[in-house]
Amino acid sequence: MYEFSTLGWVRHVVFHPSEGFEDLRWKKQGSVTAALVIVVLLFIAMVANNRMVGFAFNTNTVKVFNVVPLVVQSVVYFITWCIGNWCICTLLDGEGTFRKILIYSAYALVPYIFCSYIAVFISNFIILDESIWYTFFTYLGLGWSVVLMISAMKAVHQYSLSKTLLSILLTLIAMLLILFLAILLLSLFQQVYVFVYTIYTEIAYRIRG
Amino acid sequence: MLIYRTKTEFIKEKGDNTVNGYKPTPLRRLIGLAAAFCTAFTMSVTAFADEPYESYNYDNWDDAIPSQTGYTVDRVVSGLDMGLKELSTPGSPVFISEKESSSLNEARDIYNYNDKELWIADSTNNRVLCLDSDFHIKGCYKEAGGKNLKEPMGLFVTDSPTTGKQTVYIADSANERVVRATVESPTELKLEQEYTRPTEALYTSTTYNPSKVVVDYAENVYVVVKSVNTGSVQFKADGTFMGFYGANRVNVTAKVIAQKLWRKIASQQQIEGMQRSVPVEYANFDMDSEGFIYTVTEIMTDTDAVKKINPAGYNIWEAISDERFTFGDHTENVSNLATKTTIATKLTDIAVDDNGLINVLDFDTGRVFQYDKFCNLICIFGARNSTGDQRGAFATPNAIETFGDKIIILEGSKTRNDITVFKCTAFGNQLHKAFSYYDDGLYTEAVPYWNEVIKRDGCYTYAHIGLGKADLKNHDYKSAMKRFKIARSRKNYDKAFEYYRDEWLQQNFTAIAVVIIVLVVLAIVSKILKKLGISIFKKKAGKGEN
Repeated sequence: MYEFSTLGWVRHVVFHPSEGFEDLRWKKQGSVTAALVIVVLLFIAMVANNRMVGFAFNTNTVKVFNVVPLVVQSVVYFITWCIGNWCICTLLDGEGTFRKILIYSAYALVPYIFCSYIAVFISNFIILDESIWYTFFTYLGLGWSVVLMISAMKAVHQYSLSKTLLSILLTLIAMLLILFLAILLLSLFQQVYVFVYTIYTEIAYRIRG
Repeated sequence: MLIYRTKTEFIKEKGDNTVNGYKPTPLRRLIGLAAAFCTAFTMSVTAFADEPYESYNYDNWDDAIPSQTGYTVDRVVSGLDMGLKELSTPGSPVFISEKESSSLNEARDIYNYNDKELWIADSTNNRVLCLDSDFHIKGCYKEAGGKNLKEPMGLFVTDSPTTGKQTVYIADSANERVVRATVESPTELKLEQEYTRPTEALYTSTTYNPSKVVVDYAENVYVVVKSVNTGSVQFKADGTFMGFYGANRVNVTAKVIAQKLWRKIASQQQIEGMQRSVPVEYANFDMDSEGFIYTVTEIMTDTDAVKKINPAGYNIWEAISDERFTFGDHTENVSNLATKTTIATKLTDIAVDDNGLINVLDFDTGRVFQYDKFCNLICIFGARNSTGDQRGAFATPNAIETFGDKIIILEGSKTRNDITVFKCTAFGNQLHKAFSYYDDGLYTEAVPYWNEVIKRDGCYTYAHIGLGKADLKNHDYKSAMKRFKIARSRKNYDKAFEYYRDEWLQQNFTAIAVVIIVLVVLAIVSKILKKLGISIFKKKAGKGEN
């Protein structure tokens, strides 16, 4: 029983929200490569949402396209989620390793990614009066992924449902903290860089005379 | 510009050669001098023809983008050009006295009487002037009803619907009255009615300084009074006070909300000590040919900056659509670090012409914003200049008025007093024609004008929308979609796409139907085959099967 390929496992967990991740854990399955591919697909979905959505549906400012916010919104958020979750759940007697958290979280994102591709695709064929389809697919993917994510966290750490929800809440707070510290660090380093650069310019001017 | 520049460089090179390479003979020198003179001459001409402002327009992201000039300065008419000398020349028909000033002095208002006469409220000179269509003096009025005019701030001239006589309404500010008088001769007014401070308890303000006046077709008089913020004061023709008309609303800011909350918990004494949040009174108004009154308010605000009000006193533009109309510059306040001043939008006057074009004058930037009757921004022109010593730039632009297809701006400061007449450029003419057809829904008729507009300014958003709508009307949906995409008009694009999709479905219905039928048949056949246990394709063993 449960002899799937990597893709088969992804399909299995997506369509079995309550049991899928437990099976995955039981069978010691899941691949980091697949997880990373999913994260890349998430990033591409973000870009597609920004650039390829039907013209009438595109409310983004597309005068200037900047890829950095999209990288942050997909890859950086995901990695922060994994780190935050790992930090919190190590303290809360979770059983998941970092590797497992990464894999399970990525698998849980699949419906969201898939549905946003569908939404982007159909938005090129529908008019604003039929925008209910676009909204439907967006929210379907989002809701499904949220359910899967809770199930994944529950399975990976072997928590009860209430403890899972608590850990997710704490993870979100941890993410905020991490991002805050990261920005702080970044701006500090930037100041150090500016300081060093000023000294360099000063010395350079003096040497040149 | 470009041609002249290259010419200069060319001549410059020649000049260098003369100095370095060749022996400067007298003839060469003469040629060089002539060339230099020519350059200087062409240069001055070029500078002369340029406007002191850079025309721009707004794209769909509210970014200012350069555009062509819609209006250019036709001429500047000072008191001397108007022939105000005649006022102090004995024997002339408009002779007043020997000491009568021959220039304007801080004039505050102008009014266009049926494109035949231009009336000026020459405030500090305490007189009202009447100019003919060539802006030459035709009449001068210093008193009405045995009382000298004192700081007349506003004017309204019309043919009375009851008597048919030319009737002048003057907001005689310092005398605390509005005068209705008929024109008898070039120097004489006959007083018909005075509109003085209402005695009713409803009028709570202690002062009564009328600054602007407008009269509707039923001869009701609307007066903007300084320090009255409950709207304009409305009188019947016979002088009875009728109430207030078209008040502004309070601009809801965080401060106002906080005050409202504090009021709930504060004691009576505290409330009395608090500042009250009151609306701002409007600065000026105008009436269009249909009798609607337009108001402007001199403050950087989105609420009620410009209004078109119906007889009940409500803003029509607010009621007709969910769109928000913006007037003036779209940018936030600009602060100038050098002079430590902040430039904010300060809409001071409005003029609506017979075609419904709305011109709004911004006092702080000296710019005129022209809109069509649906508040689509047509063009922007004019500039602010602290000394106001350039044609087309102003230090104190006090009033704007349309005169035929021309636009007149009244400059009234201590140092400069004149009127500047703007005329339409070729670009502006095309715009007006295009917009007049476009606003009437005659999209196809507007096409040649929009094409001319695009030739001169390819970024002009409404041109693309107009052409797109024409395409839509001609069932050329694909082209319409392309146009709307350029103009970034999502709603119009959606409409075009809807038609395009319908058309496509209709044309390709047979093909689509065939494909669907084939798919259904295939599905049924494969089901039957499966039931019978016949497999066409070899199945992969194991994987994917439980």
